[in-house]
Amino acid sequence: MSEVRVLSDIDARVWKIEVAPGDSVAVDDVLLILEAMKTEIPVEAPKAGRVKEILVKEEEPVSEGQALLILEV
Amino acid sequence: MSWQKEVDELNRRLEMAKAMGGAENIARHHARGKLTARERVDGLADPGSFDEFMGLVGQGTYNGPELAAFTPKPTVEGMIRLDGRKAVVVAGDFTVRGGSGGMSGGLGRESRASERALEWRLPFIRLQDGAGGSVRTFEEAGRTYLPDGNSYTQYEVQLLSKVPVASAVLGSVAGIPAVVACLGHFNVMVKDISQIFPGGPPVVKAALGIDITKEELGGDQIHTRISGCIDNLAETEADAFAQIRRFLSYMPLSVDEMPPRGPVTDDPERADEALLSLMPRNPRQAHNARKLIEHVVDKDSFFEIAPLYGRARITGLARIDGYPVALMANNPRFNGGSTDVAEGNKVMRLISLADTFHLPLISLCDEPGFMVGPNSERMGIERAGARLLTSVCSSRMPWLTVVVGRAFGVAGQCHHRPSGMYRRYAWPSASWGSMHISGGVSAAYRREIEAAPDPAAKKAEIEARLQAIASPFRTAEATGQDIIDPRHTRRKMVDFVHDAQRVLATQVGVPWIPYMP
Repeated sequence: MSEVRVLSDIDARVWKIEVAPGDSVAVDDVLLILEAMKTEIPVEAPKAGRVKEILVKEEEPVSEGQALLILEV
Repeated sequence: MSWQKEVDELNRRLEMAKAMGGAENIARHHARGKLTARERVDGLADPGSFDEFMGLVGQGTYNGPELAAFTPKPTVEGMIRLDGRKAVVVAGDFTVRGGSGGMSGGLGRESRASERALEWRLPFIRLQDGAGGSVRTFEEAGRTYLPDGNSYTQYEVQLLSKVPVASAVLGSVAGIPAVVACLGHFNVMVKDISQIFPGGPPVVKAALGIDITKEELGGDQIHTRISGCIDNLAETEADAFAQIRRFLSYMPLSVDEMPPRGPVTDDPERADEALLSLMPRNPRQAHNARKLIEHVVDKDSFFEIAPLYGRARITGLARIDGYPVALMANNPRFNGGSTDVAEGNKVMRLISLADTFHLPLISLCDEPGFMVGPNSERMGIERAGARLLTSVCSSRMPWLTVVVGRAFGVAGQCHHRPSGMYRRYAWPSASWGSMHISGGVSAAYRREIEAAPDPAAKKAEIEARLQAIASPFRTAEATGQDIIDPRHTRRKMVDFVHDAQRVLATQVGVPWIPYMP
């Protein structure tokens, strides 16, 4: 079992978190939705696994390269 | 009497050249995590294909008539094969004088590798490591010299409109070589070991008084993300070689040939069901442009160029039914997919690449417009727009645009070419206009809105009126714009790319607009 840190590609605001710790996710499942330039940008699971920890809160601003959550894969 | 003695001498000299800068320098080079010039050529080329140029050049010291010691020139160069196709390679050898300085010229000098690439009409590859001039040369020569490097760089400029040119930056590359790294059609640098700058940290310290590391000054974070001077980032040197081989696999050997059709690996009739719901119905939601590309091009054929720079536009090379194409797509997940100066630069480079090497261009358009705001103004978005528009209108290669989402403003206009073999399809999800309805209403109906008892309600009413006529079917009724089922996109592309081959065949030869790097 290894961990994957899912990073933000962009400077944005966390709009909606779609998963909770312990949830199982498949590849491409939406983990959370960021918002930038009035656009909703889904962040999808890069691999199948289980959500270990969510590192951000809704409404929180995030910057490019910042870890959003940790997946156990 | 045979000439065995002389052949032995030849082999001894070649062996001495293969020792490069000596065991100690090689060990130090390896300790930095870097391959030697000869290991790099071997890593790039088909096994056993290297045919060296000027392998005997260097500085010898003699013990009477006997060659006692030998320092080879600081480059390793010759012809190689890549997947069977020939190319010319020049690798800087950092273990000899830090890769700095070259051989002396003069009468009787053999042709440079760049001249051979030009005359043989073969792709030219640089594996760069080391600096350009060094003030040490002044002392050796007993004089200074004018910076007349263009006497030989001119050949590399000529190459740009004749053959594909690729550079790998594989160390700290300063001076002329740093600029030459960008004198090509594709370049790549390797994480942690590569930097480029015209002047390194000591030069910056002397000029500006700033303390800065090589990596901060000219590492990948700067050049693959912010400046765009280097297209791609590689994890390892082997990855950089693989990327160069891949880039060249889509290219003809020269502008006088057509790019090679690769094997047909995918069903030309493939109609992925996912395309029907790929575009979100909610205009606030951004689709996944990389997924869109995978659905329409041959499986695993997309090679992205400059993925980290100008990220609102995805650009790269792909295959459609085996034929190489240039492809671009707006990426709504970055800055809404808008076109800023960086995105414009990427698009112009792609158009120029396609036009020079006879690739059809495919545009997957979801264009909200030029980036607006004070930053874009400071960067000169209008002149960038004028250059982009000129590049679009002056291009000749067959061009297919599929409007999958938005096509707005002058940037939307830059997905259209009113001449030559140009075709445009739209998805039912498309929307377009000279400007966006929401922003445009406030500007065009300002007085009417302000005079209304409830300005917000008035604005909403006008917007609703305009949205009602924004259906692409209304445009199609009037203009003949063809709208397609998104699932039929690939088959339309296949048909277009097949037809494009006939037109491209009439365009082989030197491009009518010289390639600008």
